[in-house]
Amino acid sequence: MDLCQTLFGLAEASGTSGQEYITAGYALDLLSKFMPAHVDALGSVVGENDGEGCHYLLDAHLDSIGLVVTGIEENGFLRVDKCGGTDARVLPAHEVIVHGKEKVYGVITSIPPHLARDEGKKAAGFDEIMIDTGLDGDKAKEIIRVGDRATFVSYYGKMLNNTVRGAYFDDKAGMCAVLRCLEILKENNCNKKLSVLFSAQEETGGSGAAAAGFRCEADKSISVDVSFAKTSDTPKDITASLGKGTMIGFSPVLSYSMSCELKALAEKKNIPYQLEIMPDSTGTNADNLAVAAGGRKAALLSIPMKNMHTPVETVSLDDIEATARLMAEYIMNDGGLEA
Amino acid sequence: MTDLIKRLCLLNGTSGREDEVRNFIINEIKDYADSLSVDNLGNLIVFKKGRKRAKNKIMLDAHMDEVAFMITCINSDGTLSFESVGGINTAVMTGIPVSVGKDKISGVIGVLPIHLTPKDKKQDLPSKSSLCIDIGAASYEEARKVVSPGDCAYFDSDFVQFGDGYLKSKALDDRAGCAMLIALIKEELEYDAYFTFSAGEEVGYGAAGAAAFTVKPDYAIVCETTTAADLAGVDENKKVCRLKCGGAVSFMDRRTVYSKDMFDLALDTANKLGIPAQPKTMVAGGNNAGHIHKTAGGIKTVTVSVPCRYLHSPSCVVSVDDVYSSLNLVRALIGELADA
Repeated sequence: MDLCQTLFGLAEASGTSGQEYITAGYALDLLSKFMPAHVDALGSVVGENDGEGCHYLLDAHLDSIGLVVTGIEENGFLRVDKCGGTDARVLPAHEVIVHGKEKVYGVITSIPPHLARDEGKKAAGFDEIMIDTGLDGDKAKEIIRVGDRATFVSYYGKMLNNTVRGAYFDDKAGMCAVLRCLEILKENNCNKKLSVLFSAQEETGGSGAAAAGFRCEADKSISVDVSFAKTSDTPKDITASLGKGTMIGFSPVLSYSMSCELKALAEKKNIPYQLEIMPDSTGTNADNLAVAAGGRKAALLSIPMKNMHTPVETVSLDDIEATARLMAEYIMNDGGLEA
Repeated sequence: MTDLIKRLCLLNGTSGREDEVRNFIINEIKDYADSLSVDNLGNLIVFKKGRKRAKNKIMLDAHMDEVAFMITCINSDGTLSFESVGGINTAVMTGIPVSVGKDKISGVIGVLPIHLTPKDKKQDLPSKSSLCIDIGAASYEEARKVVSPGDCAYFDSDFVQFGDGYLKSKALDDRAGCAMLIALIKEELEYDAYFTFSAGEEVGYGAAGAAAFTVKPDYAIVCETTTAADLAGVDENKKVCRLKCGGAVSFMDRRTVYSKDMFDLALDTANKLGIPAQPKTMVAGGNNAGHIHKTAGGIKTVTVSVPCRYLHSPSCVVSVDDVYSSLNLVRALIGELADA
């Protein structure tokens, strides 16, 4: 599997929370190569094989942040609000695709200096920015309806040290790691019982994982999400670096034994890793999967990311590979005890 | 015309680094011009004979350079500090893809994720000095192998045709003007005319003034782009000019007080010939007219600008109709002024 190609392909098909069907078809195709899969009631893509032994659930979220259309002005400018944790500061002059009856290209308005507030020190809020579709109002209303979503146009790029930039690697990098893990398992003829969940609505609170987690009978889950990588301006408790390995989560919500096993296994197998210490809940799907139905042991692996929730999210392909390998080793070795 | 604008916009050339743009233009026009020369500042000066000798010497100007970034320092963590070349607002450089140096290395101008930003600062734009370009280098040494201070970085932004006849790209300011001049040079002109494709407008050091000194015209027509703030909800008196209403003619901006007769002539000519045109309704901005009108004892100058939304951003937006209207007005003005 070409990680870069898979990542860019998944990212290009991004849909916002509640509109995961934009991504679901593509994700379903990729997952079906490994196991029977379907789309559930909330839009999550769910797969399950008929293997044996301890039943593992691998999870990464399908949805992305974006914008939701709240109004259509006479001259084809769209009023918008955020869908998920979209960062208003990075929006001006970015390009978007509005997912109406057909795809409509637009530019997010940038307020000219003579109209800027506070000498341009404050970013325009969601009440001030619009999408410029270049259509007249009537034409815009024919194609676009309030509630339609918009996603960023992405400028993918390969950077130094096997890092890549683009929109929507949160959490397509996680999906990519899960798919790569399945490939490694297949190469090793692993016949463990597996479920895979590409969950809907993580960015808006985790409903997809909560619902799908209720149906899934897995004993243990491993969620893969992205987390913050260190830059010059991050707080001192952000310690992970891009390219230095998968982040093994420790949190009261997560199974301490699984976290410790993952760490020991990474050491043993020489898989690059870093620790992510979260003294509270994790803010990821792992929180939902741990307590869904009768509860299960949950673990969390995170892929370090810079510029999260911007159109230039940056990750290392090496970290995706490390995450996939550690998951695969964990499953093949039942936690590493028999390795 | 659209294809010409596209090819011009996708070239990288900021102030003082206009080579790529100038070479492209020379290649486009060399078979149509009667003479061309490149001066010491990098201005391209072109003469084209018309069917008639002009009573007055006419010069048309468009600038080749675009706003961009210049790498000032390579930091120990492998990131690149930079300054903008020309005026770029922090709002349009936060969280954007950029292309660095001659080898067009992919990079980003990053931002502290909103999740980690303190609650009371979530709407604050980062200070310009805190921003840096990340090319994925993990150390000074790694970055130094591929980048040097003084290298430039450009908006990584495609050319897109969208909506009802709009163009979106970086560098439309002022490649739209360059495209108009190229189009005129390729035409059979009624009168002799001089054309200056000038350097360094975005930092305003006055290269166009030097070109005008060399040409010493009686009249100059500056072909530019200017801010249009015709967004939904903006007060009529703050819009400056509007897309799809034709070229914007300036009566006054921050660098030039235009002769009343030149301003009137431009609007009256447009009116007479049924060419869409509009006054630029705000005393804001400035362009090469600021240098040209003071040169060589004074040159009567008029500015016709293509209205442009989101000027100096990766996503400048103009209307194709306005480019044609501006071109038609400028062509008509050559005739009016040549014979005046």
